[in-house]
Amino acid sequence: MPNPSDALLRYRPWRGTFRPPAFASLALARSGLRQMARRKLFWALYALAALVFFFFFYGQYMVVWIKLQTDDKTVTFAGLPVKAGEVSKFLDILALDGSGKTFANFIWFQGYVSMIVLALAGAVLVGNDFQHGSLSFYLSKPMGRRHYAAGKALAAAGFVNLLTTLPAVLLYLQAGLLYDWQTYYFDHWRELLGILGYGSLLTVCLSLLLVATAVWLRRTVPLVMVWSGVFVLARGLAAFLVDGRRLDPRWRLIDLWNDLYLCGKWLLAVPIDPKAPPEPPVELAACVVVGVCAACLIYLWRRIEAVEIVS
Amino acid sequence: MSEPLLDLRGVSRHFGTHVALDGVTLALPTGRTGLLGPNGAGKSTLLKLLMGLIPPTSGSGTVLGHPLGGDDWRLRRLIGFMPEADALVPSLTGVEYVTLAGELYGMPRRQAMRRAHEVLGFLGLEEARYRKVDEYSLGMRQRVKLAQAVVHDPPCLLLDEPTSGLDPAGRDALLNLIRELGTDHGKSVLMSTHLLADVQAVCERAVIMAGGKVRGVGTVAELCGRRDDRFRLRVQGDTAPAFRADLENEGVKLLADDGRGEWRVAVPAGWSNLTFFKLADLNDVVIRSLTRDDESLTELFLRTVHPEVAGAEPV
Repeated sequence: MPNPSDALLRYRPWRGTFRPPAFASLALARSGLRQMARRKLFWALYALAALVFFFFFYGQYMVVWIKLQTDDKTVTFAGLPVKAGEVSKFLDILALDGSGKTFANFIWFQGYVSMIVLALAGAVLVGNDFQHGSLSFYLSKPMGRRHYAAGKALAAAGFVNLLTTLPAVLLYLQAGLLYDWQTYYFDHWRELLGILGYGSLLTVCLSLLLVATAVWLRRTVPLVMVWSGVFVLARGLAAFLVDGRRLDPRWRLIDLWNDLYLCGKWLLAVPIDPKAPPEPPVELAACVVVGVCAACLIYLWRRIEAVEIVS
Repeated sequence: MSEPLLDLRGVSRHFGTHVALDGVTLALPTGRTGLLGPNGAGKSTLLKLLMGLIPPTSGSGTVLGHPLGGDDWRLRRLIGFMPEADALVPSLTGVEYVTLAGELYGMPRRQAMRRAHEVLGFLGLEEARYRKVDEYSLGMRQRVKLAQAVVHDPPCLLLDEPTSGLDPAGRDALLNLIRELGTDHGKSVLMSTHLLADVQAVCERAVIMAGGKVRGVGTVAELCGRRDDRFRLRVQGDTAPAFRADLENEGVKLLADDGRGEWRVAVPAGWSNLTFFKLADLNDVVIRSLTRDDESLTELFLRTVHPEVAGAEPV
């Protein structure tokens, strides 16, 4: 360490202008994204999420290619000669045709990877603050609890959008380029709004849920377990109750990802499939989503205050 | 006269049934002040309360002219806080961490980064500023925590156990920096610690706390010299035991005897020093020296915080 007297000669006062506390949220979000981007596990999981994206990306391309060029020809598929049109029927299950259902399905499938990425993000973004005592670092600054929570939620929103909205918009752009782009973009503007709306809904709900569960649990493993409970076990239980025990379809409301999916389908104007298993009304699903968000907000407000006291 | 650093009137803070601060009334001018007290004395609670992180349960006051108890971000801009806990953000480098602190204080990003380089330089971390903070040694962690507290050049620094865990050289260096921030750059420092030497090295003034109450306030010199009931006597003569017995009969309490004729005594109220000489004369004892027994800060602290150990009543 240098002689302190010499070192202090370099100390200069700062006479700048401070910005409002809201800017602190942006700094927090940026720092959170940077922290996550330095984790190798994050990139491994993001690569996994990219696989789903590429499946849809090339799936859309293949469907168009089959329909336009080889629909009536015989091709070898899995070692067997089949009509190309049959392959496209298989792909039709996923509705890879640039319709609202394509994007709703894509975001549905992203849910599994999103759950793990967000659990990791929660542990890094918020759990670390509690474990390493960083909360006193943040809260001693001229910012309120709402700025802290907003900064963390903004960072979480970044991940949600990187996993869902951004790739869905790319799929939308690709679909337009595969078909007659002017006609497609003109006819399917509702899909773009739906993607953005669905993305915003996911962003708000998952960010709040993520920050709230991370404040509650703090460590990665319990976070993954709880998120698995929310997104996998609840889904299995809902399917068992409604499809297995023939209970009221409203039991599906316990599956939050499905509630978001129903709201997303409504935003994307996906028509109801009469052959699909019964689903609860979208209004009820929206109520559950709003309720979860409100509960998270209340919990965060109370919990961050309590932590200020004990940290 | 400049604005006082703080002015508290009957401030209490309860956590459930636990009373962390109990009717604290305290006024401090700007300058360097040490907040002394054992663990659980309420020092950290007081610092958090001063920053507006927690409201008082009762009482009122001002900090740098801002009312106590409000979640006042304008007040926090005037304060640089160095927490006792690690409070580091893992995976950030030193310069990123200090820049983040600057941005959280409200500095524009570019200026925060420039300032981060400056403060890390003067705190001796220029070589380590691109290393991750979680790889720092304990001494470096303390310095980077001080860097994040001064990045926005606040007029007041609240330091919670700043030298905790440092080796003697690192401690001296950090204390020198803190003192010079106060003397050369006009920062007010309120430093919470249980290391008395830190207060003596840095502070002009000390506040002694125990059990959530303020037990003593004043300049270090005032606090140590405040008691005029203690004396150090050097006596010579074969009849010293009789002299000692006579003193005890007069209510003088012998606190220490080094066996070579040097005694430390506590005298009763209303004592006249002439009595020493009268009794010495009666017992044919020569008093070689009689000096007031100035208390060290350690003795003062022990007497104040642990009267049962020091064998005397609190201040």
